[in-house]
Amino acid sequence: MSHSAEVDSKEAWEGGVSPFKLSYGKMFMWFFLVSDALTFGGLLISYGFIRHKYAEVWPKAENVFTHFPFIEQHVPLAYVGLMTFILIMSSVTMVLAVEAGQRMDRKGVTTWMFWTIIGGAAFVGSQAWEWYHFIIGTDQGALRNVWDPVSGTYIKQIFHGANMITNEYGVPQFANYFFFITGFHGTHVFSGVVLNFIIFLNVIKGTYQKRGHYEMVEKVGLYWHFVDLVWVFVFTFFYLL
Amino acid sequence: MSDFQDNYPQYELDALHDEAYGKKARRTLWNVFWIMLVITIFELIIGSMAPGYGWSGSLWLKTLFIVLTLAKAAAIVIWFMHLGHEVKFFKYIILIPYIVFMFYTIFVILTEGTYSGTSSKATKIDPIFIEQQNALKHGHHASGVSKTNQEENPHNKNQH
Repeated sequence: MSHSAEVDSKEAWEGGVSPFKLSYGKMFMWFFLVSDALTFGGLLISYGFIRHKYAEVWPKAENVFTHFPFIEQHVPLAYVGLMTFILIMSSVTMVLAVEAGQRMDRKGVTTWMFWTIIGGAAFVGSQAWEWYHFIIGTDQGALRNVWDPVSGTYIKQIFHGANMITNEYGVPQFANYFFFITGFHGTHVFSGVVLNFIIFLNVIKGTYQKRGHYEMVEKVGLYWHFVDLVWVFVFTFFYLL
Repeated sequence: MSDFQDNYPQYELDALHDEAYGKKARRTLWNVFWIMLVITIFELIIGSMAPGYGWSGSLWLKTLFIVLTLAKAAAIVIWFMHLGHEVKFFKYIILIPYIVFMFYTIFVILTEGTYSGTSSKATKIDPIFIEQQNALKHGHHASGVSKTNQEENPHNKNQH
C-alpha cells in the first residue's frame, strides 16, 4: 500500500528511480489516453460549434432516437440510457477485475474480466442496432432536396433515413457528426473488447500469476475506463443537451 | 560509457494489497457506481421532460447537465482510473496540459468562429429545414409535406 506516498523531491530526479513512482507501461498508457482524449475533445468542441451555428434547424435527439427493441411505442432516450448503463456497469466490473488482480486473486480477475467483455460486446451490438435504425429511418420520412446524379440537379422528394449527404431528421451535419463521433467511439469500444479478450486469455493461461503482478489488467483497464469516460461526454452532448 | 541500469525498482508491485484493504476499496468502488447511476437516471428523467426545441432547454438546464457530466467524469478518472492514487506531480502532468488545451480550443473556436457563415460563399440553410423545424415547434408532425412551391435550391444559389 505504498501508493499515495509522496516522493522525496530532492532525490526523485537524480536517476535510478521514477519520480512518478510508476512503471513505464502504465505511464505511457496515460500519455496515450491524453492524446486520444485531445482528439475526442476536438471533435466534441467542433460538434458544439456547428450545432450552435445551426441551432434553429438542429433536430432534437428525443425526436430522433425513440426506438426500443420489442416495443412499438416511441420511448425517447430509453435505449441510449440502457447503453449508458451497460457501459458504466462494464466499467465497474473492469475496476473490480483490477482490484482482484491487486490481491493476486486469479479466479476473481477471470470472472470480472469475463463480464467486462460481455458488457463491451453488448454495447457494440447496441450501437449497431442504433445505427441501423438511424440509417433506415422512419416510415413517413421527410421532404428533402435530394441530389440526382442522372439529371445533375436536386429533386424534391420524400427521403427516409440518413446518409452522409441527406437525412430526414435535419441538417446533413447532424448525421455526419453522429456517424463520425459515435463511430469513432464505437471503434474504440471494439478495440477495447479485443484487447480485453487478449488479456483475458493470458489471465486464464496464468501468465500474470507467474509474473507476480496483474498490471496488464490495470493498463487495459485504464483504456476501458477511458472509453467509458468518452461515452459520458458523448451521451451528454449528443442526447441530452 | 556508463553501464545500463537493470535494477530499476518494480513499481508494478506497489499496487498489490491484502484482503482487508481490498474490502474497503471495493466498497468505495460500488458507492461510486451507485452515485453515477443515480446521476445518469436523473439526467435521463430531466432530459426527457426538457421543453424547448433546437438546442433544447434553458441555459440553466444546459449548465446543470454539463456540471453533472464533469462530476461523473471526475469520478471515473479519480476512482476508476486510480488517478487519485498517483503521485501529485503525475496528476498535474496528466490534467494540466489537457485542460489548458481544451480551454484554448474553446477560446479559438469562439473567437475565430464568429466569422463562420458571414462569407458570401457560405452554404445557406435549406429553407425546407426551417419550415419543418417551425412546424415541429408548433406541434405538427415532421412528415414534411410542405405546401411551398419554392423550387429554387439553396445549393445552386451558392454557385455565383
